[in-house]
Amino acid sequence: MKKFMNRPADYVDEMLDGLVAAHPSLERCGASRRVIRRAGGARPGKVGIASGGGSGHLPLFTGYVGHGLLDSCSIGNVFEGPNLESCMEAIQFADGGRGVLCLYGNYGGDRMNFDMAGEMLEAEGIVTRTVLGTDDIASAGPDEAAKRRGVAGLILAYKTAGAAAEAGADLDDVTRIAAKTVAATRTIGVALAPCQVPTASAPTFSLGPDEIEMGMGIHGEPGIWRDRLKPADALVDEMLERLIADAPAGASDRVVVLVNGLGATPLEELFILYRRVASGLGERGISVARPLVGAFVTSMEMAGASISLCFVDDELERLIGAPASCPFWIVP
Amino acid sequence: MSTTTTNAAITVELLRNAACRAHDAMRRNEQRLNEADGKLGDGDTGSMLARLTEALSRADIAQAEDLGAAFALYARAGSAATGSSLGTLLVTALLAASKATKGKTAIGWNELSPLVGAALEAMIRRGGASLGDKTILDAVHAVAEALREVSDQATARRLAAEAARRTLDDFRDKPNRIGRARMFAERSIGQDDPGMLALCILLSDGP
Repeated sequence: MKKFMNRPADYVDEMLDGLVAAHPSLERCGASRRVIRRAGGARPGKVGIASGGGSGHLPLFTGYVGHGLLDSCSIGNVFEGPNLESCMEAIQFADGGRGVLCLYGNYGGDRMNFDMAGEMLEAEGIVTRTVLGTDDIASAGPDEAAKRRGVAGLILAYKTAGAAAEAGADLDDVTRIAAKTVAATRTIGVALAPCQVPTASAPTFSLGPDEIEMGMGIHGEPGIWRDRLKPADALVDEMLERLIADAPAGASDRVVVLVNGLGATPLEELFILYRRVASGLGERGISVARPLVGAFVTSMEMAGASISLCFVDDELERLIGAPASCPFWIVP
Repeated sequence: MSTTTTNAAITVELLRNAACRAHDAMRRNEQRLNEADGKLGDGDTGSMLARLTEALSRADIAQAEDLGAAFALYARAGSAATGSSLGTLLVTALLAASKATKGKTAIGWNELSPLVGAALEAMIRRGGASLGDKTILDAVHAVAEALREVSDQATARRLAAEAARRTLDDFRDKPNRIGRARMFAERSIGQDDPGMLALCILLSDGP
């Protein structure tokens, strides 16, 4: 696969150079310069929200640093968790004196490094809480929901927790909102073509011309099952069916919908998908509180899409609609 | 690592040598490990380990006053190089080794088994995987067992390599039970776990 890059080893650092050059609202900092924070740093008296994760997913994770969203974000190499030092720094940069929520996807490396960072900073008097994104329904069954991985739905928890923190909520309440959003969110993905890690000599998997991978995560790892390419409506119907079958007990009949492009899929096709998502939800008596269609969480040049449903109550709907601004998502 | 068969103890110098050989082995096997990982995960294990071992090989531990300090320097260098799950587990092992060898300028080969055991325990605690899940932990466990009663370098080397190879072979036809690969467990049957394969290469081809 062709890539715009110089040395593969410089892929992440050169990307970060460009990101902050293009977006002055973001500041690159930390000893290894692997943390992005809001320009100007933490706001005293506000609960901080730190996230982190591997590169290769823009706008996730660093792109969601901004008003009403994240305060800071540590960043690892492509598809690798952020290192220990950058997790410690992200927490420190987010700390405004009222504690920090570490909000990131449920992956081994990310969890180990944030856990170690939190333990080490506890000694310095920084209080942290952790909420893990676990929205990928293909990554574990409902009986093992805590083992699920975090994918596109994580940004909805950024949004609600970020809005609560901005409004002055305390750490326990911001944590409650983030956990409530994660618990209400379900995602499933499908890939049409793979992606390639910059330092690797081949794509991570190959697909025949008429094949698709269902249950795709966001790391170019193999999906859960392989299928034949079908018309868009049939794919959406299958994905919606699985999402709704997995809806949380007592779920509301109102959802925030995220139809997310995995990198190479054009917006045109995302709207073709959304068209059927909207009608399919309507047929089931589910109303759409807010549609989001675009590339919010990607897997480099992977072609494909994910659909997320967040079953909202009044509180979550209000927080999703609260003002927010980052380079890739503005809610006026 | 010296190729002569002696009862000389494990020292800072031996550790430095091991790191350089580990880097050489990972550099040569980078794409092979990437490919093995691509079948089960996201295809970056080889590149990550090449980078991690390069960081270790470049860390200057010559001035470290004891093994504990040397392992701590390696843990710090390793943790700066990656935040991946396998990489962080290896850093966790280095930290545990640092703690266990604090104040010791050398340990005997007969002390290697409990040292590997302490590292294994820390990796299980931090990572959350169990023995039998088909991860690097199973190979580390087999190595710790194989090193019991061993008192010289040549035997340690041979038995450790054999144990890692045997574990790789034993687990090949079992399903992965943790991480992404557990979701298509039946497809992981017949595939080598990339972490286990990496340890096998390190012990047979590296230090």
